[in-house]
Amino acid sequence: MAYPLGWSVRLQVVVRRERWPGGSRAGAVALVYPGQMVEPDQPVIRLKREEHGEELAGLPRLSLPAVTRKLPAIHPTALALPALGEETVPAGLRGRVVDVTARGGVVIESQVVAIQGVLGAGPQVAGVLTLWQALGNDGSRSVQPIPPGAILVVPGPLSFLLLRHALNSGVVGIIASSIVLRDLEGFLHADLLELVNSPGGEDLQSRLPPLTIMLTEGLGSLAMPARLLQLLSCYQGRVALLSGFTSVRRHALPELLISLTAAEAEALPSQEPDLALVPGARVRVCSGDYCGRTGEVLSLFLHRQRLPSGVRAQAARVLLEEGEVIVAALSCLDRIG
Amino acid sequence: MQTQLNQQEGQATAHRKDAAAANSILVADCGSVLTKVSLLGLVEGQYRLMARGEAPTTLAAPQEDITRGIVQAINEIELVTGRQIIVDGRLLAPEQPDGNGVDVFVTTISAGGPLRLLVLGAASPTLTDLVSQAVSGLYAETHALPSPTFTASMAAGQLSQPGATPLPGVGPVPWTPERLALEWRRQIDRLRELQPHAAIIVGMADGPTGATPIQEACQLLVNAAQEQREKTRLFPLPVLYAAAPQYVEASRRLINGAGEVVRLDPLVSASNLSPISLAVSSLYERSILRRLPGSETLWSWSSATPVATATSLSSLVRFLAHHYTMNVMAVDAGGANTTLLLAGERGEFIPMVNAGIGVGSGLGELLKRVGSQRISRWLPFDVSDEELRQFVLNTMLHPHVVPSNQRELQISQAFAREAILLTAEALKTGALSNFSPDLVLATGGVLAHAPRPAQAALMLLDALQPRGVTSLVLDRTLLFQQLGAIATVNPVAAVQVNENDAVTHRLGTCVIPYGTLPPDQIALRVVVEYSNGRQVQVEVMSGSIEVIPLRLNEQALLTLYPAPTVDVGLGPGERARAAEEIDGGLVGLIIDARGRPLVLPADKAERHARLLQWSQAIGA
Repeated sequence: MAYPLGWSVRLQVVVRRERWPGGSRAGAVALVYPGQMVEPDQPVIRLKREEHGEELAGLPRLSLPAVTRKLPAIHPTALALPALGEETVPAGLRGRVVDVTARGGVVIESQVVAIQGVLGAGPQVAGVLTLWQALGNDGSRSVQPIPPGAILVVPGPLSFLLLRHALNSGVVGIIASSIVLRDLEGFLHADLLELVNSPGGEDLQSRLPPLTIMLTEGLGSLAMPARLLQLLSCYQGRVALLSGFTSVRRHALPELLISLTAAEAEALPSQEPDLALVPGARVRVCSGDYCGRTGEVLSLFLHRQRLPSGVRAQAARVLLEEGEVIVAALSCLDRIG
Repeated sequence: MQTQLNQQEGQATAHRKDAAAANSILVADCGSVLTKVSLLGLVEGQYRLMARGEAPTTLAAPQEDITRGIVQAINEIELVTGRQIIVDGRLLAPEQPDGNGVDVFVTTISAGGPLRLLVLGAASPTLTDLVSQAVSGLYAETHALPSPTFTASMAAGQLSQPGATPLPGVGPVPWTPERLALEWRRQIDRLRELQPHAAIIVGMADGPTGATPIQEACQLLVNAAQEQREKTRLFPLPVLYAAAPQYVEASRRLINGAGEVVRLDPLVSASNLSPISLAVSSLYERSILRRLPGSETLWSWSSATPVATATSLSSLVRFLAHHYTMNVMAVDAGGANTTLLLAGERGEFIPMVNAGIGVGSGLGELLKRVGSQRISRWLPFDVSDEELRQFVLNTMLHPHVVPSNQRELQISQAFAREAILLTAEALKTGALSNFSPDLVLATGGVLAHAPRPAQAALMLLDALQPRGVTSLVLDRTLLFQQLGAIATVNPVAAVQVNENDAVTHRLGTCVIPYGTLPPDQIALRVVVEYSNGRQVQVEVMSGSIEVIPLRLNEQALLTLYPAPTVDVGLGPGERARAAEEIDGGLVGLIIDARGRPLVLPADKAERHARLLQWSQAIGA
């Protein structure tokens, strides 16, 4: 199914994730040991930098006329790794260290709010969750300063210019609803199809521009559902862990993990995700004219229904959030809650 | 019989001996997108398809258990038949006196992805092609990584020839030690990126580079294993040694812990491909099938070892060709793989599994290989590159979706045409052009679920471009792939279900004149004599498609009068009269006089008009 975690939003789930900043890094040293408790901002790995200004070599390159137009230049420093020396990697999660991997990665078990994206790019990063507001409080358009090291939440669709702005501001990650394919490929300087289809895609992530991206709705110009935005705003200011890695071959999707405090974990319901499409289930349409829209299953048809394409398929009546009732094939619905 | 619930260790062998006398057979096909389960049972002494169910394949998280998808599909069957087959999450076997349970359970699998095989050593294009040929009937991808010295030597050899142009990517920059070092680095990176399941070392030591390519192949594996700091199952890598025999032990010592070396006959020509084929087949079972999550339970349920779907389909196609003494072609357009199998009446068999090319998760690779123009040429409307790429990306991320509108349907059918075409092109041996199928069997979701049978027929005609007279049969029940596996435990059931159920969706007989079709003139006159004595005469213009009504279960005698330069299989202008009555089908008698090879108009507006015209003529 589409979501390895079950639903696209899990309010309370225990996960184990290897903290690894991506790529093949020599000289990574774990600063913690199995059994130790860690905080999200606590350094857990020390990295030794081996190379100067690694270029975007070896990435699948674009060849389509549509995306080889002259694009505004990315600031050169944004594409280069920091100078020779050492750096530390924060945990990003609160929890218990359960393992240290052979390459020096640290496996942390944590109780989190997990949000799964539809598409993304970029390695795992940790940063402070920051809501981006395009308009000032008085409604006037203003350029909001973006704190370096933040994971920025953009309520609407992304654009190439916004991505560049975020990159040049030192933001480490960005979460948005959607983006036009051309803009995303132009920014990544990579063929997205090859990127998500590559058997060794994880290595390629670290060669992308250092800005991890997660799209909650996918390609196009879809808006972020209000309840998701509300959820993200509740955790503004918290250190979170974001991965943009999307791989068809490895069934991997981007995810944002926000560690919960013990009190929060106790207060939030822990629910096993049920993937069955039953009346009352919250779903997202993942294909066709209503792609990206969310709603609730009203009823299931007993017999296969003929879709506008002519294909006969098991189907459901779905009440969209906008109030419209549609008939959709079950295979075009992802249960999200 | 005593009731048994199969446990992890299973009681499969206990009732395997009864398989031939089974009352009921449950067969599952775990595809990369969907798991299809069919229940076969004895009805009036004949095996018939009783019910079928379908559910998404559950290999990925959060389910991560292939049997969960099977159980969901079985639940559909339980709902339809009222028969209880799963009890407490386990398969009830054998069949109970009250009719619950099943006697036999067999499985075919195409999920799990292809086996990625590295070709190392003196991996010349010829040897790499031979390896590809050896694994062409399996779900396997080959990736050549010739040794750096061998690559340098090839480049030098190319350049030393008069008038030679450098090989792409290897010249004219000289192969300095620095460049060789860079090549080593590139190869290790490539190896890590590919995450291979196995490697094969090829090449004899009699070339100008001697045994160096073999040594470098071993060195590459050792270096990659040393760099592999991650906890993966990549190393030790199974290594098939099909190179110079005198260096096998030295290679084994050199590779040491980085690989498990299996010695094969040296690969020198097309005559010794079988050992490689068998070895890779065994590796596929070990490295892919047995590692699928839930495989232990699946194996314990099964009355026979689960097999790759392509292997099962191969068995069926060969059987049909032998049994009916005809040339049979089978096409399976799947989500992750496309398979084309040719079986001749004299025992010839040419398999081609295009692993990673499909209409689901395989769309990305397909688009990369053919480009967007080859896709859009089949569409009677304008489509931008970006729309196609977005469609591909969305389908790759959600391979289980069905087209929800006409536009999506037509795009997905355009991709299906190219997936089949590309697979046909991969049969480089020219086998396809000389192969004249009497019967074309088509299976796979995109064909089986086509809203109109004529759409499936048109996809097949466009992509396969058969010539002469052939019959098209569509496997709407998606049973074909499973019949070969059924035959291993109960051949009678396979034959009876094939005759009674699987081929009931006959699309019709096709007449495809070829040769030089006179433009805008009559290419062929067709006379049809129906069983009731009625006679119909139709003149078919070059460049057109005509359908003459001949319904399912109807037969007619056919006489063809081609134009002087047109051939229907007996030579240009030769009249043909069928010795036996031809069968009708869901579409009818199709006369495809568009010419071979099929050339689409270069002008976009004209092409759109033609595509619409053909589509309407055939009833798609």
